[in-house]
Amino acid sequence: MPSPFSINGGACVAMVGKDCVAIACDLRLGLQALTVSNNFPKIFQYGDHVFLGLTGLATDVTTVSDLFRYKVNMYRLREERHIAPRTFANLVSSSLYERRFGPWFVSPVVAGLEPKTGKPFICGFDSIGCIDFAKDFIVSGTATDQLFGMCESLWEPDLGPDELFETISQALLNAVDRDALSGWGAHVYIIEKDKVTKRLLKGRQD
Amino acid sequence: MSRRYDSRTTIFSPDGRLYQVEYALEAISHAGTAIGILAKDGIVLAAERKVTSKLLEQDTSAEKLYILNDNMICAVAGMTADANILINYARQAAQRYLLTYNEDIPCEQLVRRLCDLKQGYTQHGGLRPFGVSFIYAGWDPQRQFQLYLSNPSGNYGGWKATSSGANHASAQSLLKQDYKEDCTLDEACAMAVKVLSKTMDSTKLSSDKIEFATVGQTKDGKIYHKLWTADEITALLKKHDLAKEDTSEEK
Amino acid sequence: MRGPTILKATDDKTRQLNDHTLLAFSGEPGDTVQFAEYIQANSQLYSMRNESELSPSALAHFVRGELASSLRSRNPYSVNLLLGGVDPITNKPSLYWLDYLASLAKVPYAAHGYAQYYCLSLLDKHHNPNISLEEGLRLLKLCSDELKRRLPIDFKGLAVKAVTKDGIKAMPFDEDDKVVRDT
Repeated sequence: MPSPFSINGGACVAMVGKDCVAIACDLRLGLQALTVSNNFPKIFQYGDHVFLGLTGLATDVTTVSDLFRYKVNMYRLREERHIAPRTFANLVSSSLYERRFGPWFVSPVVAGLEPKTGKPFICGFDSIGCIDFAKDFIVSGTATDQLFGMCESLWEPDLGPDELFETISQALLNAVDRDALSGWGAHVYIIEKDKVTKRLLKGRQD
Repeated sequence: MSRRYDSRTTIFSPDGRLYQVEYALEAISHAGTAIGILAKDGIVLAAERKVTSKLLEQDTSAEKLYILNDNMICAVAGMTADANILINYARQAAQRYLLTYNEDIPCEQLVRRLCDLKQGYTQHGGLRPFGVSFIYAGWDPQRQFQLYLSNPSGNYGGWKATSSGANHASAQSLLKQDYKEDCTLDEACAMAVKVLSKTMDSTKLSSDKIEFATVGQTKDGKIYHKLWTADEITALLKKHDLAKEDTSEEK
Repeated sequence: MRGPTILKATDDKTRQLNDHTLLAFSGEPGDTVQFAEYIQANSQLYSMRNESELSPSALAHFVRGELASSLRSRNPYSVNLLLGGVDPITNKPSLYWLDYLASLAKVPYAAHGYAQYYCLSLLDKHHNPNISLEEGLRLLKLCSDELKRRLPIDFKGLAVKAVTKDGIKAMPFDEDDKVVRDT
């Protein structure tokens, strides 16, 4: 019996740049070795500058992303403002820990810019909500090992938005090429203070 | 005589009336006027703010206009405290529908959910009915732009232009007189301020006395809703020559 | 047509959810029909209450939600589903793939079980986004032939239904095959 984290496959990575952050994911949905869909995005937006990447069991990716849409929409209506990434990270953490003894099989990644200061914010989680704050990059999914390697060698501090796009794209594409369960195209988001750019990378379709 | 039949919400009087519900309706007719006008390309909601004081924080949230979800807003006439309970209920119902079907709730369904709750208090009892009327403005793919009015009894209806609260009878007749089929959102806004200026006590309006909101469609087809800022309201009033002269008496 | 390994050769593994949406299922016998008819009943209840039909997308997400909550219950349904429909407002057709884990994907073509391994390569090669119903049926014939050739059991052919904006109807398919279905 395979691990629930690696039935469907998928990869996600977030990176900090200079006054910007990037988050990217692959598009594969599989059933073990069989690919079912090549259009299964794993990044979700929850505010102007707040993004969540979810890898792991596909059913839980959908359930958890829908659940956070509910919670964040209620937050926004109640507070009459968008949720801040740090606040959202704590919401993710506590929501995951709620299921401590029957967890959602997901490994979330949060990326965003803090309101007002515009400071980059990224963090990752384990499936029961332990937050992993990072100043450089966060990786998750079945290509974690490969992504760590790529990020360690490509990432450097204070990359501008265009360089950051190139870095994160190369890191992701080359990592998933060495993982049988990830790939089949990618979504890349570059988040700047006054602009969010979403790009579709075709990637290898094999 | 009536004393015997108005202490409980759920008991009919001998002549077939529910006094508590009628009292709730009475309470609403003391509240600030709220009007809604359906245009071909959007909807405008406007409401009279009763509590105005120079000590009041103006930049905090709206008193009578609320967002229900991504494509629906409403205006409140009646007890704001009661309205808050219902609005929270509506927002949760809308989000629950979105969670279940991954689509926004159709406008009429949301209105009906709220009205079912209101109706419950006229039949199953409780301490009193909700003392609120709502005017809803929304959009859904099946019936496009829609305007609804609901009252404490749990009745609701779809309207082209409607009003609630103080002077709603005169507002209604003004709307009936002035309403044009196929009017644009801009014309509807103009009509809204005109009607408000006539039904409110003072003929000259100012942004701290009214609230304004619109639902519309952007050029690329996306539905938006907007609660207007004080400056935008002032600009609209100036345009239609209804603004109070800029004397510094209040500031 | 009955025997030690065949109980029925004409079992319809689909349920109509509303005028424009069809649900096909495979999986644990018993679970499948129970779950599909539960969804069917809920879809019809919605249509009656609201005098409007749920779109295929809304139904797919509803089914997913029900299956996902079942997955973490004491005895989950093990049902794989395909949901096809035409949106009553936009008239756009769509197909959804759902497995027993409640993974949901909107796909251009899909299969469940062994048919995935035998047919997806054919579908990859021959499908295009603007494929017509006739071409689709011809492609389905290729798939059915492949299954007959390769599946280790006689699966008694396919029942084919087409969902169009005018409704759902059973299609004549593989008329000339020699398999005996009913006696």
